[in-house]
Amino acid sequence: MSERREFPLVPVLLLGGLAAYAFFRLHHALAPFLLAAAFAYVLNPVVVYFEARGFKRLHLVAGGYLAAAALSFFVYTGLKGVIVEETELLQNRAPAYIQRLKTTAAVQQAALTKKLPLPPKVAEHALESALGGALHAVQELPSRVLALLPFLAHALLIPFIGFFFLMDGPSGVEGLIQFCPSRFVEQAIHLLSEIDTALGNYLRGLFIVMTVIFIVSFFGLVALGIDNALIIAAISGVSSVVPYFGLVMGILIGGAMAFYQFGTAAAALKVAALFLGIRAFEETLIQPIIARHSLHMHAMTNLLVLILGGELFGFLGLVFAVPAAGVLKALATVTWSWYTSERGFDSGGAAGAGVPYT
Amino acid sequence: MSALKSFKRWFIDPAFSRKKQFLRSLEIFKELRDRDLGHLVQALHSRSYREGEVIFVEGDIGRALFILESGAVELTRPGPGGEAQVLYKLEPGDFFGEMALLESLPRTATATATEKTHLHLLYKSKLDSLLAGEPRIGVTIMSHLARLLSARLRRVTNDMKFIAPKHV
Repeated sequence: MSERREFPLVPVLLLGGLAAYAFFRLHHALAPFLLAAAFAYVLNPVVVYFEARGFKRLHLVAGGYLAAAALSFFVYTGLKGVIVEETELLQNRAPAYIQRLKTTAAVQQAALTKKLPLPPKVAEHALESALGGALHAVQELPSRVLALLPFLAHALLIPFIGFFFLMDGPSGVEGLIQFCPSRFVEQAIHLLSEIDTALGNYLRGLFIVMTVIFIVSFFGLVALGIDNALIIAAISGVSSVVPYFGLVMGILIGGAMAFYQFGTAAAALKVAALFLGIRAFEETLIQPIIARHSLHMHAMTNLLVLILGGELFGFLGLVFAVPAAGVLKALATVTWSWYTSERGFDSGGAAGAGVPYT
Repeated sequence: MSALKSFKRWFIDPAFSRKKQFLRSLEIFKELRDRDLGHLVQALHSRSYREGEVIFVEGDIGRALFILESGAVELTRPGPGGEAQVLYKLEPGDFFGEMALLESLPRTATATATEKTHLHLLYKSKLDSLLAGEPRIGVTIMSHLARLLSARLRRVTNDMKFIAPKHV
């Protein structure tokens, strides 16, 4: 019998640590490449579907880009009026929205001061402290949304870099397998296979959720007669990258818009009901399809990695925290599988093996 | 007709077609349709080995089937004196390590490339995916493995020339 293959834990940990540090230092520069890789990863199954029929990858990718460009052109032509109208509307009304929110907050503050069983000065001070933070957060909301713009600026760069990722296809993986020492090839394929399953399903699921939320909320807001439906739906869809964040953004921005537009709390409540309905629709119809292939992580783990990702890497961390946790989980699964099989804990065996061959 | 051929040549990937053609020539995959072979090509990983490079060692846990496209591979086991005894010499078109697709147990021999060799690997989890997503491919492979296993077991049973058991 041969000597046992020992998992090269120290070199792997060392390399992993170096890669994590390099990523931490360079994550701003790497952002478009990571987003482009995710973009290519989501689209790759379409290329693979046609590639299985023998078509050249170059032609499939180039043809797909041309088709997407044509579709985008027709969609833009169709929606151009709405986009221009909504942008102008938002530009013209943004100062008024802020002012209206400030006034509403001031009126509510004054009313509450009278109702509180405290001396007026003390009540005013207490409310100012409590509401000040909330008002400040609301005032900062547009600038926080604008902070996402640099990522939207990658809108052209991501498909451009993604084209090359799509063109390369599986050749990168094949290169890694060729580079791997021959006795570890099977382990390397196991690891790559686990990562592929975890990442691919999560990113594709996320893409489906974002698209569904964008489309359903757009038509829902239009049906309710809310101004800037396209922008609100887009913000809600994009922010769905972070679980529940899309719902919160939709209710906050859509509700505020409805309240300003119609001047009644009922209008804002209708918008809240719409987004809660979308959430229920997503939970009952979309998630069961996606969950079959999801990362199967506890909600608290999800939340923890999102907080850590956001703290360390900002927006990029929020997008990639859960998939990165999925990769770590795949690594742990493969290491455990390696350990149990190499130590002989997985004995295999089958029922009826003792019966003679007849 | 020639226009159709040049049209196909422009669109169809020759390397992909060559791989499909190679797989079609193998006994194990000969019943598969063209489209199934396409899915199978995508499920395989390829790797080249240098002359003398060890592919796996006896006792390693196996997790993949190897298909020899070009080159040569020797399967060896240590003899009584510890020297390597050649069990079998594999040629292009042969496959080995197939039992790893059924169970993750130690390899029973060492495989070494005796010249520059190109192999295709079908990993166990890829076969599981094929069984779920493309059952026709998975069932064809499993059916062939079952026949192979049965033939080997029958041969071993005959070779043993044992006395008829009492309890059968």
